Amino acid sequence: MTSGTDSRSPGALAGLRVIDFGQGVSAPHCARLFADYGADVIKVEPRTGDAARHSGPYPGDLPDQERSGLFFFHNTNKRGVTCQVEHPEGRRLFLDLVSKADVLIENNLPAQMRAWKLDYATLAAHNPRLVMISITPFGQTGPYSEWNGSDLNAYHLSGASARYCGRPHEMPLEHGTFSADYFGSVTGAAWGLGAVFGRDLVGGGQHVDVSSAEAIAAAFVGGQNIGGLAQDGRSDSRTGVGMPLGAPATILPCKDGHVWMLALEPGQWKGLRKVMGDPEWANLEMFNDMYTRAQNADLIYELMADWLMAHGKMELMEMCQAAGCPVTAVFTIEEAARHPHLQARDYFVDIEHPALGRVHSLGAPFKLPASPGGPHSPAPLLGQHNQEVYGGLLGLSAAEIERLQALGAL
Amino acid sequence: MTNTLPLKGIRVINFGWVWAGPVVGQTLGFLGAEVLKIESRARIDMTRNLPPFAEGIPGPDRSLSNHACWAGNGSVTLDLKHAEGLELALRLIAESDVVIENFGPGVMERLGIGYESLRAVKPDIILFSMPAAGLYGPLEHVRTYGLSLTSLTGLDSLVGYKGETPIPVENAYSDPFAGIFGSFAILTALTHRRNSGEGQHIDFSQQEAVMQMVGPAYMDYALNGRSGKPKGNQHPTAAAAPHGVFPCSGDDRWIAIAIGSDAEWAALVAEMGAPAWATEPALATLAGRVQAIDQLHAEIAKWTRSHHDRALTDRLQAVGIAATPVLKVADLLDDPHYRARDTFIEVRHPLGFDETIYGGYVKMSRTPAVVKPGPVMGQDNDHAFLNILGLGEEEYQRLKESRVIY
Repeated sequence: MTSGTDSRSPGALAGLRVIDFGQGVSAPHCARLFADYGADVIKVEPRTGDAARHSGPYPGDLPDQERSGLFFFHNTNKRGVTCQVEHPEGRRLFLDLVSKADVLIENNLPAQMRAWKLDYATLAAHNPRLVMISITPFGQTGPYSEWNGSDLNAYHLSGASARYCGRPHEMPLEHGTFSADYFGSVTGAAWGLGAVFGRDLVGGGQHVDVSSAEAIAAAFVGGQNIGGLAQDGRSDSRTGVGMPLGAPATILPCKDGHVWMLALEPGQWKGLRKVMGDPEWANLEMFNDMYTRAQNADLIYELMADWLMAHGKMELMEMCQAAGCPVTAVFTIEEAARHPHLQARDYFVDIEHPALGRVHSLGAPFKLPASPGGPHSPAPLLGQHNQEVYGGLLGLSAAEIERLQALGAL
Repeated sequence: MTNTLPLKGIRVINFGWVWAGPVVGQTLGFLGAEVLKIESRARIDMTRNLPPFAEGIPGPDRSLSNHACWAGNGSVTLDLKHAEGLELALRLIAESDVVIENFGPGVMERLGIGYESLRAVKPDIILFSMPAAGLYGPLEHVRTYGLSLTSLTGLDSLVGYKGETPIPVENAYSDPFAGIFGSFAILTALTHRRNSGEGQHIDFSQQEAVMQMVGPAYMDYALNGRSGKPKGNQHPTAAAAPHGVFPCSGDDRWIAIAIGSDAEWAALVAEMGAPAWATEPALATLAGRVQAIDQLHAEIAKWTRSHHDRALTDRLQAVGIAATPVLKVADLLDDPHYRARDTFIEVRHPLGFDETIYGGYVKMSRTPAVVKPGPVMGQDNDHAFLNILGLGEEEYQRLKESRVIY
C-alpha cells in the first residue's frame, strides 16, 4: 500500500508484496512494472543508495542523489528502505522482509549474492513460496555467470549489434539506451509473474533466472537466424541500411529531420509514387518490384532526395500514410513527448516529488480498463519508509530501529 | 518426470500473426498455457513462407525462422470468412480464458469477433489487443512495420554513430520485446480475474510499451528540455566511461568494455601497461573521463586492435573489468555459455526433420519450460474440434471437406 489517501482502484496485482533489491535499470524497472499494477513494492537500498541515484539526468546537471531522473523513472509507486545486508543485523532484517514477500527482484552479480549469503537456496529456506527473479547480463549458470557485466556487454554478447545495427566493418551499435536491461526487465516480469500465478499449482516458489544477453540472443536474434545457421551455416551481418532485400526501406533525411521511408508492397509503392507527384523516373521498369528496387536502392534514394528535402517529416508521414504507405516520422524525444496522440491517450502523468517538484513522466505501459495502472506516487527518498516498513510491517519499536540505525545495519 | 507448469489449465486462442502476436502466445505456452493459434490456408501468414526452409524444400510448414518464433503455439485451421468458421472460433473462445490479436483497431469487430461478441460467449474473457499505437487516438490507424514502429517512440533518434544522423536497426527489436511484455500484461489481467471474477479488454499500444525504453532520455527532456542524439555506444546517461566497442584482431571482431568505477579504470590502466596518456590525474575520476571520452576511446582502440577478442576478454574479466566479445550470428551456436545454458536446442519436427530453435531462454528452477517445435498448420484440429468442442466425426469431416476447417 502506498501512503496517502486516494480513490484509485487497487490494481490488478494488489495483495502481492515485492522486494526490489536491484540497482540501475533492469531489476528496478521490472519491479516498477509490478508497482504500476498495484503490487506493494518495497525498494531495499544500501546506505549509499541505488547506483541510479548517482547517475543523471539531474535538473541543471547538478548531481544530487534525491534528484536523479534515472532513479525517479524506475522507482515510482515504491516505498524505500535502507539496509546493509553485509551487516549481520541488516541481513537478518532483509531475511525478515523476504519472509513477508511474494516476490524478490534483484540484479546483483551471482557471486555477490552468494557473498552476502542471500542465494536462492538460503532465501527459499526462509520462504518456500518466494518467487525470486534474478535479472543479470549473463544469468546464474554457465561459464560467463561469474563475469562482471553491464547492459552494454549483454547487448553485444547477444549477436544483435553485429547482425542488425551499424555499418559493415564499423563499430556495431547499441540502441542509445539500456536495451538489454529493458529486454531483461520485461522478460523477468512475464516469466516471474507466471511463476507467481501458478505458485499453488506447482507446489511453491522458484528461482527465475533471466540472462538479458540470452533472452535477446534467443527471442530476437535466434528467432530469425538460428535455424539457418544450424542447417546451412548461414550467418548474415549488419548492412547499415534498413532492409537490404527491399526498397525504399531505410531512414532518410528530409527538410526538418528524418523519416522511416518504407514502400514495399505494390500498393504502398503506388501510394508513394502518387504522393511524390508521379515522377517520371518512378515508372522505369527497374523500379517495378521491391527486389529490383533494392538492387537500385542508392539510386532511388538519390532521386527522392529533392522531394524529401522539400517537405517536413510530419507532413511526409501524413501524406504517405493517407496514400497507404507506411512511412513514419523519426520523432525526436521532444516530438514523442509532445505528440497529440500520446496526449489524447493520457500516456503522460504528473507526479509531485519532494526534491524534484512536479515531474512529468511516462505513464502506464499498457491500459487495463478494469484495473488501471501506472505511476502515481514519486520514487522514495533514500530510507524514506524505514519507520513505516520496519515499524509497521516487521513490528520493530522506534527504539529498536534507532539501535539498528546506530549499529550501521540500516 | 511430469512437470506441472504454472499456467496449466489456461487456454489461449491466438489470432496473432507475423511476429509480435505469436511471441505473446509462445511466452504463455512456455509457461504451460495451452495456446491454439487460429490461422487458415485461405490466407497463409507471410512468415510461414520465409526462407530458409527445412532441408531447403519450400513450404508453409518448413520455414525455420517461423518455427523458432512461433514454437509454443499450437495451430488450428479455420477460415473465418465462412459463417461456420466464425461460429466454431466463437465456440472455442467460449472454452478459453484469453484471446490474443495484433491486427489494427476495428479489424476484430469486422471479422465478427470484437470484444462484445467474445463477452457474449464468455463473460470473463480477457481480450489482448496490441495495435501499433493503441485502440484509439489520432494515430490509431497508423501503419508501421515492426522495425519502424520505434520511430514513433523517439528511440530511433538515439541510434547511430556519435555526431551523425540516425541509423536504422535492421530488424524489429520491438516485436519480441512487445510480445514478451504483452504476456506480462495478460498475466496481470489473469490475476485480476482470479481476484475479482472480471475479464477485460487490454489496450496494449506497442508504441507506449516500447517507449518505456526511452525513459532515461525522456527524463532528460522532462528535466532539462534536451532531446538526446546518437552517441555510438557511450553510456546513455554518461554514468560510465570508457563505455564502448573497440576493434580487435581478425575480421569484424570487437570487444565491448564498460568501466563503471574508478577502481575498474585503474585496473584497465594497469592492463594497458599504464601508458602516459592514461595516467593523467584528470582521468582518475568519472567526470574527467566523461570529459575526455572521445580521446580515451581512440587511445583504447589503438591498444585493443592487436588483441584477440576472447583472449582480451578473459584477461580483463580476470581483473574484474566488464568486457565481452561482440558476438556475430555465426558465433552463437558454438558459444560455450549459450551451449551450457541450452539457449538453442535441436528438436524433431512432426514432419520428420530436425531443426534448431531457441529453447526456454529463462531458467525456471521448479518448472523448466517445455519447448515444442513450431506448429504444423492444423496440427491441433483433432484436439480442438473433437475433444474441446466434441463434434461428431461426420460433422468434422464435412467441415474439413467444405473448407471451413482449412
